[in-house]
This record gives sequence, C-alpha cells and structure tokens, in this order.
Amino acid sequence: MKAVPRYFVIWMRMAAMSLKAQMSHPLGSVGFLLGKLIRILFFFAFVVAIFKNVKELGGYDLADMALFFLTFNLVDLGAQILFRGIYGARRVVEEGDFDFYLVQPCSPLFRIMFATLDFLDLATALPVLVLLGMVFERLPALGAARYALYALLTLNGVAIALAIHVLVAGLAVRTQELENSIWVYRDLMFMGKFPTDIYGPVARWALTFVVPVAVMCTFPAKALLGLLSPGWILYSFFFCLALLAFARRYWLNSVSQYTSSSS
Amino acid sequence: MRKYLAAYELALQNVLQRRSSLIMDRVGGVAVLASLYYFWLALMNGHKGFFGYSKAQMISYVLAINVLRSFVMTGRGWELVGDISGGRISSYLVRPMSYGGYSLALDMAQKTVYLGSAIFEIGIFAALVRAQFYLPRHFAAWLGFAATVILSSLLFFVMEFMVSALAFWTSESGGPLFCFELFIQFAAGAFFPLDVLPKVIRHVLYLSPFPYLVFFPINIYLERVKPGEALRVLAIQGAWLVVMLFFASRLWRRGLRSYAAEGG
Repeated sequence: MKAVPRYFVIWMRMAAMSLKAQMSHPLGSVGFLLGKLIRILFFFAFVVAIFKNVKELGGYDLADMALFFLTFNLVDLGAQILFRGIYGARRVVEEGDFDFYLVQPCSPLFRIMFATLDFLDLATALPVLVLLGMVFERLPALGAARYALYALLTLNGVAIALAIHVLVAGLAVRTQELENSIWVYRDLMFMGKFPTDIYGPVARWALTFVVPVAVMCTFPAKALLGLLSPGWILYSFFFCLALLAFARRYWLNSVSQYTSSSS
Repeated sequence: MRKYLAAYELALQNVLQRRSSLIMDRVGGVAVLASLYYFWLALMNGHKGFFGYSKAQMISYVLAINVLRSFVMTGRGWELVGDISGGRISSYLVRPMSYGGYSLALDMAQKTVYLGSAIFEIGIFAALVRAQFYLPRHFAAWLGFAATVILSSLLFFVMEFMVSALAFWTSESGGPLFCFELFIQFAAGAFFPLDVLPKVIRHVLYLSPFPYLVFFPINIYLERVKPGEALRVLAIQGAWLVVMLFFASRLWRRGLRSYAAEGG
C-alpha cells in the first residue's frame, strides 16, 4: 500500500505527458474526437428512431435499451481512457524499450497499461454521462442501493476489461502479436451495445462464460432494473477476481519468458 | 496492365500468407454481423415487416452488410497515410507505374480475399441460425447488384484516397481519416438501413455519394428499387465516381507538388 502514492504520482506524470502529446496534434485530435462522438450519437439516434416505431424490444422499452447502450459505452470508454497504453505495447516490445521498463523501480505492467491517458475518450464520456443522467430521470424511483450496485458492477466490468488488457499485454510480450487480439476484443465488445438477452442461446452462453461481454455491459444495467438475481451478482464479482488472478499469472509467466531479442 | 496484375497477385499471396491476421480480422466481422442479426431478429419478432422491409429482406440486408463491408468499405487509407508521412511513397514515385493504380491493385487483392471470406461466413452463419434469406427473383437484380457493388467499391477507394492524401499537407491526417471512416459507415447504411433515419436527414444524405456505397446496392439486391430506378442509381454512382476521380487527381497532383519526402 505504501507504493500507491508513488504510483499515483507516476500516473499523473504520464497523464500530463499524454495531454501534451494530444494537444500537440490539434487537427488529428479533433478528427478522432469527432469520429468517436459520431459513433456514439449515431447509434443513440438509431436506438431512439427504432423506438418511434416499436414500444419494446426483447421486453425492454426505450429507457431500458438506452441504459444498456450507455452502460456499454461507460465500460468501453472506461477501458479506453485508462488502458490506452496497451495499444503501444507491441512497439515497446519490438523496439526494445521494454528492457528499460524492466530495470525501472516501477511495475512494467503498470508502465505499459497506463502509459497513455486518452483525453479524447474522456471528452467523449461527457455526452455519455449527460445522456445517462437523462435516462436515470426517466426510470422509476429505484433506490440508492440499486444505483450503488449498478456503479459496483460497472466498475467490475472495467476491472474485467483490465484483466483482458493484461492478457493482451502478456501476449504482446510473448509473441509481439497485439493488433489482432485487441481488435477482436473490440469487435466482440460491439455485442455489448444491446442486452445480451436478444442473442441466441449459444451466443448468450459464450458472452456470459467465455467472453464476458454480458457480465461487463448487460449485468450492471439489469441489476439497476432489478432483473439480476443475487447468484448472478456473485458470479460477476467472482468471475472478475478469477480472471484478474489468471491474467496476473499469465503476465508474470510471459515476462519470465521475455528474451529481450528485439533490443 | 501486366505490372498491376503482378502487384495484385503478389498482394493476394501476401494477404493469404498472413492467415492468423486474416482469421482474427474476420472473427471480429462475424461478431458485428451476429450482433446486428439478433438485434433485427428481436425487433422483427411479432412484426411482418419494418420500414417497408419484410423479415427476409431485413435479415438479408444485415447479412449483405457483411459482404459490402468486406468488398466496399475496406481500403488502404491508413497505409497511404503511413507511406506519405513516412516518406516511403518516394520509392513508388520513381517507378514506371501510377501509385493510384498500384494501390488499387493491392486494394482489390484484399477485397477479393475478404469477399470470398464474407460469403463463406454468411453461408455458415445463415445455415447455423437458419436465417430467412431473400434471393432476388429477377436476373436483372443480380446484374444490377453486381454492377453497383463494383462501382461503389471504386467510389469508396477514390474517396478514401482523397481523405488520406491530406497527409501531403499535415502529419495529422489520421484524425480526419478516422472521422471519415466512422461517419461513412453510418451515412452509407453499413450499420442499419437509412430508412430508419428521419426523412429530412435521409433526403440530405441522398444528395451525397454515401448512400450509393451500401444502401442503394443492397436495395437493388432486395428488389426494393425498380429496374428503371436501378439504372438511375447506376448513373448517379457513375457520375459521383467521375466527379471524385477528377478531384482526387487534382488533389494528388497538388499534393505531390508540396511533398517534401519527410522521413524518407
């Protein structure tokens, strides 16, 4: 626990460097920001337009569907904002910079994962939070406990995303392969835009037990709506802890096999 | 022409050689396909039709998106940005060939593999979920679909080429390209049919080249566009292609004049 303040200082320093880097490319940053906003707003407009023609979809009304969609965005953006550094992991390993990470008095995993704080995604999160506030207003009074559980399960979703990113980082150190695995993860996350109840039984099973998109994106919203049983809530937290433990072991094992051949 | 065919063959071998990249790339595409398929299936549950589409037509629209994403909306924009920004394009400029033609040959090689893969994926997916699939009753619809898909593929290539060519003037052209790629997917109907959008937005989009990339080709396949109207769509697509080619060639020439071979 003594290391926490030191790591916070390192994180702040890296965040400041990320901000300066992003500010030094204004045109590029504006383009990326606009693209991200287009993606969210077009999809949101699509969901709203659909509900002008139907009253419910898979048993959910507009407010419910918007909640699922925005919860997906919250988890996805949380991971994008915090763990953006993973996208540079291959370069770090290929160019030999990872050797320097290993000799520094700081966890190399921490350096790789948190090397970049994505301020563009931070800006994208603002409209998501505003829309989420509007959805909360449309929901019936649910009580503070439900909202607390929603927040906890959403954080649980981000923690699962962390574990997946650690696995990808381990893969990068081990094989220098990264782009494909991280993009497959991003594409699979696409399925979290909608409640996983709408998918077929096989897909639903896979999204709950194999690629935990349902646990990350659908469960928090279902818990808020009072549709998630205590068993599934426990499963969510247990799954997260187990995956984090596995990811940590995989990372340590990958680092132990690192041969420094790129440097 | 032979040198471009040789470039096409080499690029084809290159794409097929990187099998793990190809498979992972396609797995991601299937996830998007499955997601949209189940979304529309849930939506059509209890409805005979939606926005004028029958259930089979809507499901086919979603499946066809996978084909058109693979054949139309894949390009070499990011490679072009990298080639210009990193100065690598210099080595192509001194060769006795056009960079645009060379780029198109490479683009077509990737599209050939992706198209074959997309058709295979749809076949497997449709069989697994026993999807209702709409097959055009008239040969003219098949012909019209094939013609519009080829034109839309060329149109996307030229438009992406133009946006990527911004790299001649700024090292930050990745941002505009990213924005362009996301916007075009929605504006072209590559996520959902444009009929979903409010009338005003739809009609504004119809004035742009974007719906001619995905939305109209699929509607020709679904026989929602009458033969006479299909000819009009083809003519407009052709006109947009000529206009874009004109501007792209002008932009390219001006870009080459300001190119400083930085990093090369």
